[in-house]
Amino acid sequence: MGGGSMNLLAIESATNLVGAALVTDGDSAAERSHQGGRMHAESLAPAIEEVCALSGLTVRDIDAIAVDTGPGLFTGLRVGVATAKALAQGLGLGVLAVSSLDILAAGAREEAGPGRARTVVVVVDARRGEVFASRYHFDDAVSGMDRAVDPAQARQVPPELVTPDGLAESLADRDHGPGESLLIVGDGAVRYRQLLSGVPAADLGLAERLSSPSPLTLARLALRRMAAGAEPSPPTDLLPDYRREADARINWEQRIPPPGTTWPSP
Amino acid sequence: MTTHPIPSIHRVLGIETSCDETAAAVVDGGAVIVSSIVSSQIALHARFGGVVPELAGRAHVELLTPVLAEALEAAGSATSGSGIDAVAVTYGPGLIGSLLVGVAEAKALALAWDVPFVGVNHLEAHLFASLLEQPDLGWPLVVLLVSGGHTLLVEVSGPGRYRLIGGTVDDAAGEAFDKVARFLGLGYPGGPAIDAIAVDGDPQAFAFPRAFMAEGYDFSFSGLKTSVVNTVRKHPDAATEDVAASFRQAVVDVLVAKARRAARDVGAKALCLAGGVAANSLLRQRVEQACAEDGIGAFLPSPALCTDNAAMVAAAGWWRLRNVGASPLSLGADPNLRLVPTA
Ligand SMILES: [Zn+2]
Repeated sequence: MGGGSMNLLAIESATNLVGAALVTDGDSAAERSHQGGRMHAESLAPAIEEVCALSGLTVRDIDAIAVDTGPGLFTGLRVGVATAKALAQGLGLGVLAVSSLDILAAGAREEAGPGRARTVVVVVDARRGEVFASRYHFDDAVSGMDRAVDPAQARQVPPELVTPDGLAESLADRDHGPGESLLIVGDGAVRYRQLLSGVPAADLGLAERLSSPSPLTLARLALRRMAAGAEPSPPTDLLPDYRREADARINWEQRIPPPGTTWPSP
Repeated sequence: MTTHPIPSIHRVLGIETSCDETAAAVVDGGAVIVSSIVSSQIALHARFGGVVPELAGRAHVELLTPVLAEALEAAGSATSGSGIDAVAVTYGPGLIGSLLVGVAEAKALALAWDVPFVGVNHLEAHLFASLLEQPDLGWPLVVLLVSGGHTLLVEVSGPGRYRLIGGTVDDAAGEAFDKVARFLGLGYPGGPAIDAIAVDGDPQAFAFPRAFMAEGYDFSFSGLKTSVVNTVRKHPDAATEDVAASFRQAVVDVLVAKARRAARDVGAKALCLAGGVAANSLLRQRVEQACAEDGIGAFLPSPALCTDNAAMVAAAGWWRLRNVGASPLSLGADPNLRLVPTA
């Protein structure tokens, strides 16, 4: 970099939105994304190529890489993280890992503004009747009216894997000031809209628009973190944040009982 | 996007993550293995008696960086990709969650180094493995590709020119070994476990059925597997060594008989083995013997080239780039990819 501008590439694939963004010191920005249809492997590399072309740069001009490490879709995360690791290895760079929930919280802050987004609940669909959720409270004393405050400083409830019912209950139980609304975003908020709209003071007005983390929001957040001193890690250390044990089943497990048990008829 | 042959390719980096091996290799001119690194996940899956897809996908992500670093270092290439002319990767068939890791990695490296990217059919790569060790076998060849996922008889009339002769109608040969080994309590992977214990058994102790299926070229192993299970239940005192030896003999008898007949029918210059089951000692012995009797060449690749590796992917990629062209960066993984007949 050496005093010149920094070109940061952001890679996003934690939900059914997959894409890339390239920002240059925060002022010039390019973004390409594709939503739906589980097209992570197909869409990501072309998106990276396109954001470089749109910025008038080549891949070799990239100075820093940030990636959404989840929680989210396992295969989506693997595509994004494997891409980030190999790009970093091939270019001799490190990677900044960012949580999907933080990116969505930062998106809520950008989109709704500090007044509406004081308390933000991020809900990412974890399938099998569960969600990954985290709660943020942007205290004015700490964050002022700054839209760009890092959600990591406002995180009240760390990322957890819960049932939508359990989440709705814990949100209904919380203490909240009079007139304070609860801005709920993420694809889990879309899927469980009906249930979550029963939570007192729930604001689901931005759930659709903020259903997936945005590559551009990730890029801006990563740039701010690096300006604040965050160090990218070497590609070896970078792994998805699954937050759920692997499903240890093989396709013929059920058909092949362990020795000593009764053999099913063929 | 139109593709066109790229004749100036020399060194290709190959990447293989279709099942439970994370592998990277550098091959020069489609023939000379400069480096080949394979990290097996056998220990990870052993206690489940088979490959667990989600565990395999996770392990590939952990292993890809060190495996690539080692392959590049052993080839004398910096991570900047100096000296690498293209990146090839297996994009199918295999486990989707595993394939995607390699495909994503290969595309990213092609972008970082600004070199062509090419997707390779894993089955085609296995066929190229034999050419890596012995490039002048003559054409046509018959290849018996036997592994945990596949059992195929293929006529190869030239590099990249195939005709599928036969396949399995149920289990793959390696899968049958895994299932029977698991039933006999011999551990995983089943092929080596059965191979080891069968040495001390009587292959004639039990007359397990051989599925010749009206003398076609297709294979079936599920009846054999069921027969092993029923026999052990009927004779609980049967020596496991004898059961294993008789089972192995039955599998090998069918594989060799059909491969031999296929080689004779197409007028093959040589019969080649490929895939993990090609490491089976009895199968190797019997193929060698049959080919000697029939006066054709027998090619038994070293076990390292039989099992999944990335050198065969690089070799197949090199051929594809020179004769067909690069793949678009929008290529996805195809877990059910087939071998397309081109002969
Ligand atoms: Zn294979």
